[in-house]
Amino acid sequence: MAYPYRHEKETRVLSEGFGDPGARTVAGWKNYGGYQGIARALEIGREATIEEVKRSGLRGRGGAGFPTGLKWSFMPKDTRRPHYLLCNADESEPGTFKDREIIRWTPHQLIEGCLVGSYAIGASHCYIYLRGEFFESTRVMARALEEAYEEGLVGKDIMGSGVDIDITLHVGAGAYICGEETGLMNSLEGRRGEPRIKPPFPAAVGAFGMPTTINNVETLAAIPHIARHGGEWYRQWGTDKSPGTKLFCVSGHVNRPGNYEFPLGFPLMELIEDVCGGMRDGNALKAVIPGGSSVPIMSADDCRDCTLCYEGVEAAGSMLGCASVIVMDETADIVKQVRRMAYFYSHESCGQCTPCREGTTWATQILRRIEDGRGTEDDLDTLIEISEQMTGTTICVLSDSLAMPIISSIEKFRDDYLALIRRGERMGAA
Amino acid sequence: MSEARFHNPGWAGNTGEFELSEADVRGSEYAGDLPPEGGHPSTAASHPFMLVERDPDAPLFEGPYQARFEKIRGRYPTAMAALLPTLNLAQELRGHVSPETMDEVAALLGLSSAYVRGVATFYTMYNKRPVGRFLIQVCTNISCNLCGADEVLAAFLEHTGTELGDTSADGNFTVAEAECLAACGFPTCVQINERYFEDVSVADVPRVLARLKAELNGGDAAPAPE
Ligand SMILES: Cc1cc2nc3c(=O)[nH]c(=O)nc-3n(C[C@H](O)[C@H](O)[C@H](O)COP(=O)(O)O)c2cc1C
Ligand code: SF4
Ligand code: FES
Repeated sequence: MAYPYRHEKETRVLSEGFGDPGARTVAGWKNYGGYQGIARALEIGREATIEEVKRSGLRGRGGAGFPTGLKWSFMPKDTRRPHYLLCNADESEPGTFKDREIIRWTPHQLIEGCLVGSYAIGASHCYIYLRGEFFESTRVMARALEEAYEEGLVGKDIMGSGVDIDITLHVGAGAYICGEETGLMNSLEGRRGEPRIKPPFPAAVGAFGMPTTINNVETLAAIPHIARHGGEWYRQWGTDKSPGTKLFCVSGHVNRPGNYEFPLGFPLMELIEDVCGGMRDGNALKAVIPGGSSVPIMSADDCRDCTLCYEGVEAAGSMLGCASVIVMDETADIVKQVRRMAYFYSHESCGQCTPCREGTTWATQILRRIEDGRGTEDDLDTLIEISEQMTGTTICVLSDSLAMPIISSIEKFRDDYLALIRRGERMGAA
Repeated sequence: MSEARFHNPGWAGNTGEFELSEADVRGSEYAGDLPPEGGHPSTAASHPFMLVERDPDAPLFEGPYQARFEKIRGRYPTAMAALLPTLNLAQELRGHVSPETMDEVAALLGLSSAYVRGVATFYTMYNKRPVGRFLIQVCTNISCNLCGADEVLAAFLEHTGTELGDTSADGNFTVAEAECLAACGFPTCVQINERYFEDVSVADVPRVLARLKAELNGGDAAPAPE
């Protein structure tokens, strides 16, 4: 057994090279068809490359699901000013662990995606913003990039095309908010990683004041395949609104957590029951957070017919986000986990907006109080009220990201909150 | 649990139960150190900046570090953009970023001290004060938490005899809580200096610590026998 996070039902496009250390070399990656995507892009030209990506229907894998080809087409055609491509490798959404896997197993897949992306948007410089904690992935990436430079795949006159594209690894220093696109730009420029007010949008004024496109690692990893085989080919998987394959990071109370690649639209329960070997200790399913910690929590009931695509998870009352499926069984303490999330967001709030800075702190304190048995039923109303004030009122959506789990958990698991409140009252009375 | 524990094959620096070795996973050439002066300027800042060996009084920057600093400085359109990588380099050398270090970095890049301090304090990976030879950061975020991360954290505190955030009397260990480390499928994930230890359970904690101590004594990093 080489790489245990495998299942026969998987469709491996991005993850084909996972588990094969050889895939980390240029020669090894070429065995997987590597560097043919950039060759074809250079052949068909910028505009046609963007058209292929549009045709594929690929949607951003960093959480928001924005169509990638459309995003690229916002870049100005006039390239006399420098353009930049930023690769967002700051992966720090709790529950998400796919980008790290892509980087450390198939670094050339990402390099090639960065090349195609840079070429398409007319950028001669791409920065890969790696999360500071990713020491090992960064080293793997550094080795791969050195080799790609040696082979003339990156740098001046790539593959003899006359096109220059440099790729630089930029390592962060620990701050969740630097994953937000404009926070990342500030951080790259050597500032505090505070998100910027939009507009102006990055395609007009981005990194170093220049037109900039930012894409997630998994988005860019899909690009070489689309460039090589065409957009139609990519649409053989997934649904009309969510084409292609996606890595699902499953964590929590399942027997075989891990990264599994499936066409979008794969049934959630099949993922849990079949692919991940069912629930740990044969326990009953209680809740699932389907898209990383920033999306509404789903009850076991919501999960039953849920399919894992953007529209499928939305119909089930949540969001696909980055498809980080956090599974909780009947032993899970929902209030404790929501409190832990609230603590996380209060710790990571950059502090620019009052509703976020104050809201995350207050919510953490109230949740802590409830958890300790000192809460009242009124606290639940206060939590909802705070959460509503935190929604749609701030520069970035970090604030909304906490509001969603709080509101949904009170809606769906009110009994869990009430049990703690009642127990506290009984103990107080005794 | 019904089945045998399911281990991440990634280089976990773990205690050796999974079937792939570190060399299998990383490729033997990846396990070696990168050259101190850095390779291509594009990769020159990508070293781990938390090492066991460090000298709080090391000069900024000399010899190979000077070469790396220049590569970093040269690859951005502005001096300001070199700030984070330069602070990383300073921490790699000195182990923490003191106010004096911030001032020196400010002078090197032509920025004001107040500006550099404002930026450095925004980022959690800059140790504002000295830490132990091993900085043990236990992820207690949701996925790890669901699988017992709080107990793993408690076990590290107990076995190192420290309080959260403090350093053990022998200067070897600082234990802290971490946010999600992007290894959520392999709980509990513990970052120790530049390494991830994955699938760490309470029972693994003494073995992990024994291994770290062996490394300090110059012993090889082989896992303790089962
Ligand atoms: C608080 C916050 C944190 C984010 N963190 C990440 C992250 O770690 N990685 C990522 O790729 N996108 C992250 N995003 C999303 C980015 O802002 C951006 O939408 C994404 O990188 C765009 O790439 P895509 O279109 O390829 O998905 C975050 C957004 C917010 C609001
Ligand atoms: S919402 Fe929060 S994290 Fe986002 S910019 Fe405002 S204060 Fe900062
Ligand atoms: S929750 Fe622990 S690594 Fe993600």
